[in-house]
Amino acid sequence: MSAIRYLRLALLGLTLALTALLRPSALSAHEAAMGVLEFREVRPGAFVGRWSIEPSIGASRVDLRMPSHCFLRLPEMNCGEKGLVGPITISNLGSNMSVVLIKVIPIEGEPRSYTISTANPVVTVLGTDAPTLEAWVELAKTYANYGIDHILLGADHLLFVLGLIWIVGGGWRLVKTITAFTIGHSASLAAAAFGLIGVPERPLNACIALSIAFVGVEIVKQQRGETGLTARYPWIVAFTFGLVHGIGFAGALAGLGLERRLLPAALLFFNIGVEIGQLAFVLLVLALIWAHRRLDAVVPRWGEAVPAYLIGSVSMFWFFGRLARVFVAI
Amino acid sequence: MKLKPVRALMAAAILLTGTSAADAHIVAARLGDFYMGASHPLTDLQDVVLWIATGMLAGTLGASKGRWLIPVFPIGLLVGLSLAPVFATVSTQLADATMMLAIGMLLAAAAQVPTLVLCAIAFAVAVIRGAANGAELGPETDRLLFAAGLACVGYGAITLTMALTVLFKRNADSVTSWRAIAVRALGGWIAAIGLMMASLVLAS
Repeated sequence: MSAIRYLRLALLGLTLALTALLRPSALSAHEAAMGVLEFREVRPGAFVGRWSIEPSIGASRVDLRMPSHCFLRLPEMNCGEKGLVGPITISNLGSNMSVVLIKVIPIEGEPRSYTISTANPVVTVLGTDAPTLEAWVELAKTYANYGIDHILLGADHLLFVLGLIWIVGGGWRLVKTITAFTIGHSASLAAAAFGLIGVPERPLNACIALSIAFVGVEIVKQQRGETGLTARYPWIVAFTFGLVHGIGFAGALAGLGLERRLLPAALLFFNIGVEIGQLAFVLLVLALIWAHRRLDAVVPRWGEAVPAYLIGSVSMFWFFGRLARVFVAI
Repeated sequence: MKLKPVRALMAAAILLTGTSAADAHIVAARLGDFYMGASHPLTDLQDVVLWIATGMLAGTLGASKGRWLIPVFPIGLLVGLSLAPVFATVSTQLADATMMLAIGMLLAAAAQVPTLVLCAIAFAVAVIRGAANGAELGPETDRLLFAAGLACVGYGAITLTMALTVLFKRNADSVTSWRAIAVRALGGWIAAIGLMMASLVLAS
């Protein structure tokens, strides 16, 4: 039995699982279910709040809880002499509203932003002083968790990585390929987050879907005994498409309105989170391949081509759906 | 001192009869219903013990018999999940305890179970646990995503447990080898936990 057949059986199961995420909602997987709430200080301790981006569940359904000394009845909020200091939380975060950014614009000093997410549902406003160690730890927790969530919920990124593992197999070739993908997406994520490059989100998401279709075609070529581009130069393909996927990752950070001084750190921790999630996925796939090999469990010959066509079909479904969203506001 | 293992077993049995999978709902809020389905069984000790026991039993019987569970177990979970609304009011604790006792005894006896019987046992475990996992779902849960997550974790857990058991028992053909004895001893513990759990359920 060839090793590639063990690999295919393990990957078939994972492909089927990722296919379960094939829902209309998955088309907008990278358009975060988020809201942005701005508080502008009009006199010391008194704020006027408004939703600049309303969450999809509707502003009135957001269960926002400000520090206990603050009296909130939108659009007004009064925090008295103490000012806006203390914990802010939202109790009903979920898949329909996973991130809410709170922007605070004080009378004096720089505007500040706080991200409340399902991974980090409570943030503490620390005042206008320079960030403390606690603030940095909170930032690290928030963005590393956000990065992990983003990759684990991004079935398209995982399907692409799955395709790469499929073609490359294991060993050093896989290490080099995944490293090239990581370097590619880290570079473009940083460039996009700092505003050096900018690509509209919807066409980009369509391109990401196409990249998976490309890998699907490469798998079919490999099964027919042809040597495709990915099989010949896997790291070049991984790096190139990594650049595309990285801009997609940056879309998750865009619109959060982070303070410029916090952006490098937020970006670093977000990227660390993405890598943790990606590494966990790769290790899981490798463990399953090992288990199949140990159990001598192989895919039947009639089913060998199924996973490649599944990957191709899913990605083309995403592509056409996302392409439609480029032209039509859905 | 002699009572210590008995106390440990009692504690395990009490834990198993009183566990809940509430933690998985936190995962759902964070990552959605697919990951809720994948994490739900991992937060329930009855699932963990029964799945590991089933995987170990299959692994000890060898790769040629065990590999059938790769499709059988996830399919059983899906069947159980689909039956969950029918058995929503029925507690699966006694069935869990019985299966734990049976599998534990088979492991302890190092019984050579035919492939068909092994598949039937694994399917029964999967149906029972699939139904138990599905019983707690609220109407807001996307059942398709939950089912996909549950089937995935079932496939992964059973495949990895079988492979690890096959690896552990390599070159342990003799019944007197320490590896074979270790597996049998663990089987005895699982049977004892199942027996105590059944007693607790019947007494309550």
